[in-house]
Amino acid sequence: MYNRKIRGPLIEGNKTFGQITKEVVAPLETRPGLWWYIALAVSSAAAVYGVYAMYITVTRGIGTWGLNNSVAWGWDIINFIWWIGIGHAGTAFSIFLLVLRQRWRTSINRSAEAMTVLAVACAALFPLIHMGRIWLAFYIIPYPNTRGPLWVNFNSPLFWDFTAITAYLLISVSFWYLGMLPDFGTIRDRAGSRIRKAVYGFFSLGWTGSSRQWIRFESLSFVFGGLAAVLVVSVHSIVATDFAAGIVPGWHSTIFPPFFVVGAIFSGFAMVMTLMVIIRKIYKLTDYITDNHMDAIARILIFISLIMAVSYLIELFIAWYSGNEYEMHAIIGNRVTGDYALQFWGMIVCNALIPQLFWFRKIRRNWLALLLISLVINLGMWLERYNIVVTPLSKDFLPSSWVTYTPTVIDIGVFAGTIGLFAIGVLLFMRYIPMMAISELKGVLHIGKKDED
Amino acid sequence: MARTFKIGIFDDEEKFISSVRTLQEQQYPIHEVYTPYPVNEVFHLLKRNTRLPTAAYFFGLAGIIATLAFLYYTSVISWPIVYGGKPFNSFPSFIVVTIVLTILVVTILSLAVFSGRSKLYPGRENTVFDSRATDNKFIIVMDTEILNQPMSGRAADIMKAEGAIEIIDKEIENVNT
Repeated sequence: MYNRKIRGPLIEGNKTFGQITKEVVAPLETRPGLWWYIALAVSSAAAVYGVYAMYITVTRGIGTWGLNNSVAWGWDIINFIWWIGIGHAGTAFSIFLLVLRQRWRTSINRSAEAMTVLAVACAALFPLIHMGRIWLAFYIIPYPNTRGPLWVNFNSPLFWDFTAITAYLLISVSFWYLGMLPDFGTIRDRAGSRIRKAVYGFFSLGWTGSSRQWIRFESLSFVFGGLAAVLVVSVHSIVATDFAAGIVPGWHSTIFPPFFVVGAIFSGFAMVMTLMVIIRKIYKLTDYITDNHMDAIARILIFISLIMAVSYLIELFIAWYSGNEYEMHAIIGNRVTGDYALQFWGMIVCNALIPQLFWFRKIRRNWLALLLISLVINLGMWLERYNIVVTPLSKDFLPSSWVTYTPTVIDIGVFAGTIGLFAIGVLLFMRYIPMMAISELKGVLHIGKKDED
Repeated sequence: MARTFKIGIFDDEEKFISSVRTLQEQQYPIHEVYTPYPVNEVFHLLKRNTRLPTAAYFFGLAGIIATLAFLYYTSVISWPIVYGGKPFNSFPSFIVVTIVLTILVVTILSLAVFSGRSKLYPGRENTVFDSRATDNKFIIVMDTEILNQPMSGRAADIMKAEGAIEIIDKEIENVNT
């Protein structure tokens, strides 16, 4: 039950249904400001750098990356996990809150799901280019083939990963698109130009809002919600298993799957916050994405940050408690006090300490603080993945194979490119798709109003 | 062939629900209602139901059986390989792929069934009785062919009394709903 008296209205400003349609569709019907074109130019430049870096990678091979015999996994997998993590929260946000019937999700779920789709698409690029000979990528798909009846290894977490990410991408896109059908119908029905009517009409698939469509729509949303909730947990657990199944000190740990899932939700929620602060500031949508919404996300972030802090402490404790000198060296010798101390302490400060500022109400209500802290969290989560991937590999069991790892401009280019592609995707999303689920906003407009009256 | 429909337009959810209730109680056949968001009470009144969750459950069962059978075939029959002395049918490590593929199967099949049953697919143009139904109005549509002349007038009176802001008769060629 949503108590409007205590928690305030979900949508402020006494809106009418017509007003909601008009205000949410407004960014699609007007020309964007100069900022939009500048942002598009900057992200396109990053994307071009990325495409060049990917071209070099594919044509010359992954020798162009900073990898070496000891550190065989570097920026590629760090960025992959980082993006997958971000891609998690969109669905986690949308689906967990749907299944738990938290109605305040309605203002945020559309952007969160868009972010998921874009982030997972960015993530999917890394395993692809990492294969080196990308044109043979189809070898991983299990089907009877002319290469002999040889199958992929179904017992390998790397294969599970491939399956899970493909499924996750498909279900996220389906769920996102399904939610947009009623809104495309709305835009079609109010469109002035014939082209606009035809385009949105095509994408609305013939939506009319009849009771028969609505009941199936709601039912399918819940079916998808239930299924994707399982996927959210399993996808990142599988990514964690990629590491935990290895015998490398610092990886071989049972804490990894929950640790990864929570970390993923942490970074994703932070990215949701970044986007929300930007969207509500630029499009002045503060009546829909209210201070209470931002407050709620900030509270969730404190909670997850504490879980992260405990996980870091447990990692240190287990390294000491195990009595295993390799484990001690990997976790404490190399990270806390060694060559990678900067990344380690950076991670602790960004993920465990700075988010504690959200305990203060003033910080939770300040848009600049929210933006900066959410960016800091994502930086921290990137450092965490760097710690996990690079530190154990750089100094393993044999001191003769100890090396340090530095990325090349190609590594950096691929990463910058995915950030550019992500930003282009977000900009196009803001321009052509309603940023909030119009029909769902209308559904929650009067929630709790009866009790108040 | 053109058919004429009587359309009641409401701008308030409560009045709309109350009108649907009265029309149902007095056994006026309602062709369909259109709303900007799902109104659950109307689903009950019009006895709308969906078997989609049941179908999804059976898709899930089919997905599990198909995936496990496929994994068994590849690992035991087609190309058995010994991994560290484990049996060919190393079932526990099949679980993850089975869960994920089952979800994939359910997703694709449920989407296909939803698309077919709700008649929503690319290129489909369903009849829009009133374009305001996707914006800010709640709409009751009645087929005058099924309603006879006096009933049609009385239905309009009921809707008016319940608070309809507008009642219109609309002739539509080739109804797609």
